[in-house]
Amino acid sequence: MNVLFVGTASGAGKTTVSAMYCRYLYRNGVSVAPYKAVNLSLNSYVTREGKEIGIGQAFQAWASGLEPSGDMNPVLLKPSGNGKIQTVLCGAPAGDVTEKKNMDVAAVSAAAYEAYDRLNSKYGTVVCEGSGSPVELNLMDRDIANTGLMRSRSVPTVLVGDIERGGAFAALYGTWLLMPKDIRPLVKGFLINRFRGDASLLDSGIRIIEDLTGMRYLGTIPYMCLKFPEEDSLSDSEGYLSGDNVKEAFMSNTDALLDAALGAGVDFQAIERLS
Amino acid sequence: MENITKKVREEIGRGWIGPDLGCPYHPCHFIGQDCTFCFCPFYPCNDADLGDNITGRGGNKIWQCTYCLLIHRPEVGKYVMSEIERLGIQDPKDPRMRCIFDDVKERFHRNGRALMVLGATSDAGKSVTVAAICRILHNKGYLVAPFKSQNMSLNSKVTPIGSEIAMIQTIQASAAGLKNPDHHMNPILLKPKGDTRSQVMVEGEPFGDYDVSEYYDEFVPGPGTEAVKRNIEFLKQRYDFVVMEGAGSPAEINIYDRDIANMGAAVIADADCILVVNVKWGGSFAYAVGTVKLIPEKDRERIKGIVLNNVLGNPSNLKPGAEELEKILGIPVIGIIPHADVVLPSEDSEAFRGISSRGNGGVRISVIKIPRIANFTDLDPLYMEDTTVKFVTRPEELEGSDAIIIPGTKNTIDDLLWMRGNGLDKAICSFRGTIPILGICGGYQMMGRSLKDPHGIEGKIPQTVEGLGLFDMSTEWDEYRKKVIRDQGILLETGEPVTGYEIHMGLSEVNEAPLFRIDRFRESENEGAFRKDDMLFGTYLHGVFDKPAFRRFFLSFVKKGGEPLKMAESGDYDDLIEENIKKLAAVFEEGLDIDMLMSIAEGRS
Repeated sequence: MNVLFVGTASGAGKTTVSAMYCRYLYRNGVSVAPYKAVNLSLNSYVTREGKEIGIGQAFQAWASGLEPSGDMNPVLLKPSGNGKIQTVLCGAPAGDVTEKKNMDVAAVSAAAYEAYDRLNSKYGTVVCEGSGSPVELNLMDRDIANTGLMRSRSVPTVLVGDIERGGAFAALYGTWLLMPKDIRPLVKGFLINRFRGDASLLDSGIRIIEDLTGMRYLGTIPYMCLKFPEEDSLSDSEGYLSGDNVKEAFMSNTDALLDAALGAGVDFQAIERLS
Repeated sequence: MENITKKVREEIGRGWIGPDLGCPYHPCHFIGQDCTFCFCPFYPCNDADLGDNITGRGGNKIWQCTYCLLIHRPEVGKYVMSEIERLGIQDPKDPRMRCIFDDVKERFHRNGRALMVLGATSDAGKSVTVAAICRILHNKGYLVAPFKSQNMSLNSKVTPIGSEIAMIQTIQASAAGLKNPDHHMNPILLKPKGDTRSQVMVEGEPFGDYDVSEYYDEFVPGPGTEAVKRNIEFLKQRYDFVVMEGAGSPAEINIYDRDIANMGAAVIADADCILVVNVKWGGSFAYAVGTVKLIPEKDRERIKGIVLNNVLGNPSNLKPGAEELEKILGIPVIGIIPHADVVLPSEDSEAFRGISSRGNGGVRISVIKIPRIANFTDLDPLYMEDTTVKFVTRPEELEGSDAIIIPGTKNTIDDLLWMRGNGLDKAICSFRGTIPILGICGGYQMMGRSLKDPHGIEGKIPQTVEGLGLFDMSTEWDEYRKKVIRDQGILLETGEPVTGYEIHMGLSEVNEAPLFRIDRFRESENEGAFRKDDMLFGTYLHGVFDKPAFRRFFLSFVKKGGEPLKMAESGDYDDLIEENIKKLAAVFEEGLDIDMLMSIAEGRS
């Protein structure tokens, strides 16, 4: 079953969690492909076919045992300063978005979801990653990568909350509360990311969130000081990867984190069965 | 006592003077204070609301009113003098003075109100919001104190009476125009010793070590709650407003009933609250809604306003979302604050979030990022110069350094052993004589020949460890005693002033030329170690770079490509902080609805 990981904020760990889950499925022999409808990033990767996609999806593709392809990130938005954003649609430049000239959301989302459908027909599981927070009150009507995808393709969704900065319970509950009622039932579960210390301290809080929302607790991912490629400037990860062995370093980090998550009891099997 | 009577008689003879701008100590309490009565004419008033009895060295009782600011309030100084003149009083012992005192207390002394700033997360901008509100209220003529019941920080500072509080509360106190931050403003300070254990300081003194569950099960319900009550009351009695800062998120529902840093403190203080959300990371509406809705209803009512902070880009883009948020929660958004480009001392999170360098100047100063690094705000003034500070954890990263600094640490011996384990010790020594090397506090201790810990006070086990051997010096932890003191003196080489503060256990025997002369109450003493030829510097003084004298002296040894470093005419770090507080307050004044802020602060909302 496909799944969409959405974060309660930027940098909540969506990219890493998606990569880990891709890796988990790949290890278990499942045919899997990553997908992120919209990526706001200056760090792009050019696929063998010459398509430009966000670097995060390239790594997730490798974690899935695949070569990156354009469909994995159909919309790439590259801020070019002065409020101008260059749009890359299905791997090819498609003009600028400015404060005056808005994006044609209907056309872009149609193209983005067609890419999803192509992946869906080709692979057993599509692991989708959201973008930013899904419940920005001032942007929700134009959302493509989060609520837009949920609504048009009914993808079961998992919330990822970052506990390092605190306020994770509030972020999870608030995100759930602000989800439009028609798609709220798609939000099946939640993960807590970047936890340090004794996880049993969280139990009572987790029970309250489960009771209040009906979402299922899927696990707590331990904090690990690992270097991952920066997706955008807002990420607080520990630094950049550079050099020739970026891919290898990323893979070994993903494997280490996946092992740690499995060790900490993250219930990937439950994620597989979400529907 | 006779002496005080004589002084007061002189003061009465002189009449009302307002602030004494010519006094070398002015302002000794707060900006805008009245100095008519440098010595209080009511001393000792023996009023338990204003002071208390302490026992003197000879066992005698002494009336202590160090923290009473009543006589220095502008309206009070003026009124008291006008009454003295009206009644024609010349002698401070005149019995009618007591009537004036009672009248003044009735008129001017009342409990202040507390206002609490909560954050939806760590780094939401609580500290700067508190600082900005302190300054805004101070500018309106109020007497304001900052307060944070519990702060987890490795960056502490020493108050005038030698107690230890978090650095950020001292900055907020400056924002409030106060000259003497004190331990009431941060009664509980947690200094992390590892992932789960912390040293707990209460009212500026070490209280004990706790792990997380001991802290919540034993400390919080007992001594912790008492400390919060005692100190909030203390401040409310003396200030018009106490601006409280929460810690982390107030909606940590797993510990909600044991949280004395957020709503627990608000209830104790009867404070109304403002919730600050950092917009930069996204999800701010969800954070705001979730935070408010997870707080139990009886406490939720205290949240009277929401501040959307740190907005990059056009703040008006957020307006529709803010209006929607107001509708959902029934709480007004009282401010949309743009990102403020201000320089204030480093937050702890920078050390933990792996920021690997700061500044982008021409000279590279490598700071050894020891695992238990402490008081790294010492380095902040370096950003005023043409420097880049790079945090280093591996020997090869030292390559290309123009200077090396070994900073303070929560545990000298363990961190020295860590350096030995990864080869940083040898790597540092290999630079001896080629570039300047400075050790501060624990880093200074490491530079000696030996570190003796016969009772396992610093390390976990009794041991003697060989130091870097850069100085002929040995440090011993003979008893569990902590030296906490503020210092001022001169840099011996130039005679220019330096200030700083010491917080350390272990005492050092040093056979080196000293770096500073510290002037104490009656005598002076040498401090630090200096080997000019080898460019080696060591000192116990935190904040040593704050005044320009030592900062420039140290950097004068840096040769970039054989050329001495060009230095800007940068001045006191304190002046830079003041400038930035002003900037910050201006940004908040612009973005906040001040009428709404005042109505919340005054409990009218």
